[in-house]
Amino acid sequence: MKPDTYFKRFSVTVVSLWLGLFALGAFLLVISVSFLSHSNDELITGPITLANYAALADMIYVKIFLRSLLLAGSCTVMSLVLGYPFAYLLARAPEKIKNTLLLLVIIPFWTSSLVRSYAIVALLKAQGILNTVLLSLGIIHQPLQLLFTDTAVMIGLVYNLLPFMILPLYANLERFDMNLVDAAKDLGASSWRILTRIIIPISMPGIMAGCILVLLPAMTLFYIPDLLGGAKSILLGNLIQMQFLSAHNWPLGAALSVVLTAFTGILVLVYRRYSTEQDRQDFV
Amino acid sequence: MKWLLLLSLLLSGVVHASEVLNIYIWADDIPAEVIHQFEKDTGIKVNIAEYDSNETMYAKIKAARSSRYDIILPSSYYVERMAREGMLEPLDTKRLSNYGNLNAQFIKPAYDPNIPHSIPYLWGVTGIFANRQYFDPEAISSWNDLWRPEYKGQLLLLDDAREVFSMALLALGYSPNDTDSAHIKQAFDKLAALKPNVRVFAVEAAPSIINDADATVGMVWNGDVYQIHDENANIDFIYPKDGFVIWSDDLAILKNAPHKANAYKFLNYLLRADVAAKCSEYQGYATANLAGQHVLPKDMQNNPTIFPPASTLKHGQFQRDVGDEVLAVYDRYWQQLKLL
Repeated sequence: MKPDTYFKRFSVTVVSLWLGLFALGAFLLVISVSFLSHSNDELITGPITLANYAALADMIYVKIFLRSLLLAGSCTVMSLVLGYPFAYLLARAPEKIKNTLLLLVIIPFWTSSLVRSYAIVALLKAQGILNTVLLSLGIIHQPLQLLFTDTAVMIGLVYNLLPFMILPLYANLERFDMNLVDAAKDLGASSWRILTRIIIPISMPGIMAGCILVLLPAMTLFYIPDLLGGAKSILLGNLIQMQFLSAHNWPLGAALSVVLTAFTGILVLVYRRYSTEQDRQDFV
Repeated sequence: MKWLLLLSLLLSGVVHASEVLNIYIWADDIPAEVIHQFEKDTGIKVNIAEYDSNETMYAKIKAARSSRYDIILPSSYYVERMAREGMLEPLDTKRLSNYGNLNAQFIKPAYDPNIPHSIPYLWGVTGIFANRQYFDPEAISSWNDLWRPEYKGQLLLLDDAREVFSMALLALGYSPNDTDSAHIKQAFDKLAALKPNVRVFAVEAAPSIINDADATVGMVWNGDVYQIHDENANIDFIYPKDGFVIWSDDLAILKNAPHKANAYKFLNYLLRADVAAKCSEYQGYATANLAGQHVLPKDMQNNPTIFPPASTLKHGQFQRDVGDEVLAVYDRYWQQLKLL
């Protein structure tokens, strides 16, 4: 064997052990807790039961799940509408500008998302930057109540997750062969037809990847609705946190986590079903 | 100079490595200066770990079978729960020569009625605030006033199921520690009617939200208003006449604490009048130490927001543990309230 192979084996082993212990091992613990019970004095105790999963059929949990899905869904649509044209232009831009623009998309990741959400609070507050500027310009006469509204939540979510939409779209669109557009034009297709029949279908794997990458975190980024929406709603993330901390019901919290993970797994399977090997390499 | 100080601190830690005390307390609840003085006086090295909610602290202690910690600082209703579950050491008050400094009102409180498991440290009440620039504080005297339509989309409520339900239960004339599910249901219906008035639920962010007028009326802890007053004098605190909740943070020794003798020394030190006053002044919350209260600066001692007269305080009730079953009822209604 070449030394190169040893190195390869070594890194693969280390990473697998790491993931096995801290991801798979931890998740197996969560799964086992989800089948246990709890009592007034013990966080987890026997007997083994399916009651935690049965409890999830409760309308209130279904409602919370649907509410999270709706919010995450609208955030995904917004991100797609904003991100797609940007990714398209980015992929067509001259090399020099392209790199600068890509850097601008990535730079926000250097700061914690929580800190950036607080920055949005400072922008939107009654006495925040936006209101101060608008008031001093005489455009408005009363401060706008932007903070603690659904608009603020949407701004926060889309702002935080937009790069996850742009990057897979960009990776896909960059490989798009412009000759196809020229050919379609020569054959008399309208711009709309070119977009809907050629560009969008070919970039579908990129769209799917971007949507999954935005939808899943949007379901659980509970601190954004808390900080920017005034904690007036409850999302799946809050519900899980609540079961573990305030309700002392670890088994139910674990069952909720397992269901969320299963939902994620299904979406990833759907993605694999409709994508090619090449797309998946881009995705990684 | 600073480096030298740091170095000497480190060294002192090394020298007395055998004498340690591990405390697990609310973030920033005991001033560093007070802890350093204790280390200097006794040569005991104090290791500090911090939490930001009773729930986090409880889960961490409960999940670990044996504890590294000696002293914790739970709120009153968690003292009750943890004492019931046998997690706290019954205190031998004979070993605490300064125990007599405590305010009699806080000795054998409802949440810890027999042999003490806890020593009240700081306390406060949950009441109403109003920003005078927007609303007349004189017009508000009870929790029920918050339901007025003129406060639509203005209220700040604490993001805590128990606190919010206590408010509604008091407004209905029930106990804030009610365990009757019919009463809790009534409180939920009352809160559902309040939801359109709510602008924000918050706890940690509450002081800045109030200070910057992002919410102009609502629920608040009295100490927060006392502190905001330095920056924004337009905020008034109101003791609701239909009653209010008193909470306290209490020092306790864990049952399986590894350094019990040191823990007693530390508790007795914190019970000293001058030390209690320093902590109270630092936090801007009332001390349960009567001797300490008397050595506070006059303007704090006489501040009615922090130290209300006895005639007002008698309308207050301690926040109590209600047990997991009732808590689950509260949580369920809380989730429904947020879904509205």
